[in-house]
Amino acid sequence: MVAIETTGLTKEYGDLTAVDDLNLTVDDGEVFGFLGPNGAGKSTTINMLLDFARPTAGSATVLGYDAQAEADAISPRVGVLPEGFDVYPRLSGRRHIEFAAKTKGADDDPDELLERVGLDPADAERPAGDYSKGMRQRLATGMALVGDPDLLIMDEPSAGLDPRGIREMQDLVRRESERGTTVFFSSHILEHVEAVCDRVGVLNEGELVAVDTIAGLREELGGGATMTLTLADRSAADVRDLVHDLAGITDVTASGRTLECTVTEPAAKADAVTAVAGAGVSIDDVRIEEVSLESLFTALTTGDAAENEGITGTAEADATAVEPGVSR
Amino acid sequence: MTTHIPTVARKEFDDAGRSKLLWSLIGLLVGLVAIGYTAIWYTTDDVTAAEVLNFLGLPLQVIIPIAALIAGYMAVVGERRSGSIKLLLGLPPNRTDVVFGKLLGRTAVVGVAVGLAFLASLVLGGVLFGSVPFADWLGFAAVSLLFGTTFVGLAVGVSAAVSSRGKSMAVVVGLYMVFVALWELLTAGPYYLLYDEGPPIEAETWFLLLEQFNPIFAYTNLASSVVEGTIYPFQFQYGLQSPEAYQMTPAERFPGDAPFYLQDWFGVVVMLAWLAVPVAIGYYRFKRTDL
Repeated sequence: MVAIETTGLTKEYGDLTAVDDLNLTVDDGEVFGFLGPNGAGKSTTINMLLDFARPTAGSATVLGYDAQAEADAISPRVGVLPEGFDVYPRLSGRRHIEFAAKTKGADDDPDELLERVGLDPADAERPAGDYSKGMRQRLATGMALVGDPDLLIMDEPSAGLDPRGIREMQDLVRRESERGTTVFFSSHILEHVEAVCDRVGVLNEGELVAVDTIAGLREELGGGATMTLTLADRSAADVRDLVHDLAGITDVTASGRTLECTVTEPAAKADAVTAVAGAGVSIDDVRIEEVSLESLFTALTTGDAAENEGITGTAEADATAVEPGVSR
Repeated sequence: MTTHIPTVARKEFDDAGRSKLLWSLIGLLVGLVAIGYTAIWYTTDDVTAAEVLNFLGLPLQVIIPIAALIAGYMAVVGERRSGSIKLLLGLPPNRTDVVFGKLLGRTAVVGVAVGLAFLASLVLGGVLFGSVPFADWLGFAAVSLLFGTTFVGLAVGVSAAVSSRGKSMAVVVGLYMVFVALWELLTAGPYYLLYDEGPPIEAETWFLLLEQFNPIFAYTNLASSVVEGTIYPFQFQYGLQSPEAYQMTPAERFPGDAPFYLQDWFGVVVMLAWLAVPVAIGYYRFKRTDL
C-alpha cells in the first residue's frame, strides 16, 4: 500500500514553476523526510496534498484517495501540522483539541494528548493567544494526533522549537512510527530529519533531485570532502569566484572571512589553496572534513542542476533541465 | 458525507463569545434602547409603547448593518491571513463547512445582540410606557433579525470572496456607502439623464423596482408595515426627487394596485437576495482559490 503518490505533479504561479513534474512515492508505514531549502516547493507540494492549492498539472493520491476529488475521505484519516498556521487566540488549548476531536469523531482524552505533546494542564486552560511559538507548534501537533491518524503530514515541524523541543519532536515521530503511523515531514535542515527518517527526498527549485535512504545518500557521495579556509584579513567573498571556477570544486560558500568549499577531487584542495595564496591573500587556517550530510544537502540544492548530476544517481526526477528560479 | 457546519458554527460562536466585539455590539444595541427609551420617557408625555417602538427604527437601521458588517467582514479572510484556516482545513471540515459554519456562527452572534436589544425594549416599554403591542414587537424583531442576517451574509460572502482584509473592508464599506449615501445618485441620477427630470412620485416602474432593492429601504418599508406609524429610511438626499417622494414606499408611489414586486412584503425577497447572492459568489470563489 502506498501512503502518498504524486504523478507529474506541477504547480505554476504565472511564470514561476513552484513544483515541476514531481513523481514521488511514500510507502505505508515509513518515515519520509521531505528536504529542500526555503522556496524549493515543499510547502506548495504539501498544500496540494491537502487540497489547499490545486495543481496546474498532474495529480496526487493520499492513502489511495485523489487529493482533490476525494479530499473529504482523506482529512479524517490524516493528521496535519501545516506551515504558517495560527491558533485561535481566544480559545484555550484544550478547546482546540476538543474541536479537533469533535470534527474527527474521536474520543481522545484532551489532557492525555496535551501531555503527549508537552503542554501541561495549566497551559491547557489558557487562551492559545498567550502561547509562545513553540507552544503553538505543540498544540497544533496535538490537534494533528487526534483520532490516531494513519498518516501524519507535517510541514516544517521543527520551526520555532528549541533544541529540546526538536528532540521531543523526533521522539514523537519515532513513537508515532512505532504505532504504525506513516509520517511525511518537511524540513530545510537535514539534521532534524536524518535521525528519524527511513528515506528522504530532496527537492530543489521544484524538482526532486534525490530520493534515497540516509545511508544511500552517504554512499552516493563517495570520497568528497569539505575544506574550510579562514582568511587572515580579507573578506572571503573576494576570492569566492577564484575558487569556484576550479575543477573538482562543486560549491563554495563565503561567510565573513570563512570560505567553505565542497571538494570532489582530492587534488583540487591544493589548487584552491594555491589560487587563494596566489591572489595575495594570506590564509590563517585550513581545515578539511569528510563531507557531512549537511554539505551534501547544500551541494544538492545550491549548485545548478548540471553540476549536481554527478552525485544524484538515484534522483527520480530528470535533473538535467535547468528551470527558472522558483518562489514559495 | 458528514457535515461539519454545526461544529464550525459552534466554534465560531464560542470564539466570538470571548471577543470584545460581541459584547460591544450587545452593549451598543441594548444601551441604545435603554438610553432612547429613558430619554423619551423623561422628555415626552402622552407617548404609547407602540409609538416608542417606532422610534427604534431609526437607530436600528443604522446600527444593525454596521454591527453585522463588522461581525462578518473578517470571517473567512481573517483566518486566511492569520493562517488558522490551515489548521481548520487540515481537520475534516472542508471549505463548504467553513463558509456556512461561519455564516451560521456570526449570524448567531448578531442575532443574540439584536434579540437582547428587543428584549430590553420589551421590558423597558412595559415598565415606562405601559403595555407593549406584542404582535408589533414580535414582527419588528423578526424583520430586524432578518435585516441583521442579510448584512452578516453580505459581509461573510465578501470575506470569502477576497484574499485580503483590506479588500474585504473596502468592498463592505463601499456597499454600505452605496446603500446609505450614493443610492439616490445611482438610481435617480440615471433617471434624470434619461428623462431630463428627476423621478416624479409616480415614477417609471423600473425605477420603483430599483428602489425596492436597497436593503435598507426594504427594512424600513417592512418595519413600517408591522409597527404603528412610518419608519423613514436614513439617507443622503440630493434633491433629485420631491420631498414627498422620499417619504413614500414604491407601493404607495405606484398608480393603482402595485404589482407584487413593489409590495412591502417583497422586501423579504430583497433581503434574502442580498444575503444569498454575496454568499454564493463568496462560496464559489473560495472553493476555487489557492490558500
